[in-house]
Parts: sequence; C-alpha cells; structure tokens
Amino acid sequence: MGEGSKVLFKLFGILDVTPEVVTSWIIMALIILVSFIGTRRLKDTPGFWQNILEVALLKLESFFGDTLGIKSKRMKMCFPFLATMFIFIIVSNYTGLLPGAGELSWLGAPTSSLSVTAGLGVLTFCALHYFGFRTHGKGYLKHFIRPVFFMLPFLIIDEVVRPVSLALRLYGNVFGEETVTEQLYAIIPIGAPIIMMVLSLLFCALQAIVFTMLASIYIYEATEEIE
Amino acid sequence: MDSSAIIAIAAALAIAVSTIGPSMAQGKTAAAAMESIARQPEAANNIRSTLIIALALIEALTIYGLLIAFMLISRI
Repeated sequence: MGEGSKVLFKLFGILDVTPEVVTSWIIMALIILVSFIGTRRLKDTPGFWQNILEVALLKLESFFGDTLGIKSKRMKMCFPFLATMFIFIIVSNYTGLLPGAGELSWLGAPTSSLSVTAGLGVLTFCALHYFGFRTHGKGYLKHFIRPVFFMLPFLIIDEVVRPVSLALRLYGNVFGEETVTEQLYAIIPIGAPIIMMVLSLLFCALQAIVFTMLASIYIYEATEEIE
Repeated sequence: MDSSAIIAIAAALAIAVSTIGPSMAQGKTAAAAMESIARQPEAANNIRSTLIIALALIEALTIYGLLIAFMLISRI
C-alpha cells in the first residue's frame, strides 16, 4: 500500500532508513530549534519568536480546551501530548508542498506513508489508555463492561478500530492529494497543479485538526468521571 | 476480458460508488448548516467550525474508496 519507499542507507548495518525517516528527523530538528530559539531568553515583553510561539500555544490551548475543558486536570495531563501531535502532523503535511518534495530522494511528506500514520495511530491508542489508567486506576477496566457485560466484544472492536481509522484517514488524505497533484502535473505541467496545491494548503491543516480533535474526544471519553 | 481490464473496471467502480453516499451526506450536512446560519447568524462561527470537521469526517469514507482504487491500479 503505497510502500514504494526505497531504502536510502542502513543505520548500524541493520536498520533501513527510508526518506520518510530522514524527513521526520529534519522536521524534529526544525521544531526543536524553533522552540529552543523561542524559549532561550523568556521575557515579559516577548521577542519575535517567543511571541509567535505564545500565540500558537494559546490558540491550541483554546482549541483543545473546547473539548477537554480548559483549566481542568485532564487538560493539564493531555495538552502536551495533543499539542505535540498537532504540530508534528501539520508540519509534516506541509512538507509535501515544499519545492523539491518528491524530486529530491530524501524529501517528502512523512504522513503520505502508511507506516508513519500507523505509528501515530498506535501512539494515540497507547496514550489514550495510559491517560485512562492514570485517571481511574484499575477501575478503568470497568469502562469496558458498562452498561452490561456482553458489550465487551463490541467495545473492544471499537477501541481497536480507532487507531486504524485515524491512520487510514490521515494517510489516505495526504497520499490521495499528492497523487492527484502528480496526475494533474502529468496532464498539464504548467498551471494545473497549482489548483490542487492551493486546496492542499487547506486540507493539510484540516487533517491535522481532525486527527487531534478525534484524539482529544477519545481521551475525553477515556478520562471522564464514572458515576 | 483479461484480468487487467477487470481490475481497471473494479478500480473505477471503487471510487465511483464510494462517492455516492458521502456526496449525499455532505449535501445534507451543508444544507442543514446553512439553514441554521440563516436562522441564527450570531452562531455562524461555531457552526462553521463544526461543519468543517463533520465534512472532513464524511470525506474520509470517500478517501477509503480512493485508496482501494489506487491499490487496485498498482496491481495492473
């Protein structure tokens, strides 16, 4: 499934390093660098980078606060995870629009590979149950047999389907959109791809929003009070 | 008919059929949202953001069909 990714080089002789991995490293380095520059000298009157980061974080906080409840304990616990997820996904979606993405062998949107989005889905799945156990302790397991005992298989299916649908949605959107751009480029090389790329500007942000929105709704369900 | 022709038809059907349901659903969603914005213009911002998320969720179903179509095409 779209796993045409070729191995660029081998790390320590065993680990295959694909273009997606290299691009994720670059994205991580970029995010760490920007955060480092922004938080190096914190001041009451923020400088340029600090100002940008503060605005972005406040926006994210109000966005997740709508579902999780701003200033709640749950919010304090989950916000770092969700915000990290959001920033990583949105930056990697936009990487596909950079000039040279796809042409240079090591540059391309990491989220257009199923392996990366499946990884993000599994990570969300683990975090979700971790937060659930942290809030309720052992009582969290009761959540699977409510309201009646025979709901157990259905609830387990529901839990397993979540990361799969998250991963497939993100992968399908980013990959599909890149393929459509490629096909348009093959038909009319000049001009036509721009239409799809402008739409991509919207869709990339939208997919990051939808992914983290669903993750926050799932977390809310897992951590809500059981009477 | 050889197998590659059948695969081509299957790919076309996968995307074409999987567009029908979601397109109707999106139409209904958008119509309902517009109606409620017309009735209560001050809630427009709230409705718009919910609408966009709902549309993206419905869109995912079509995307699954598109994925299957790509998978089939790669087998020709």
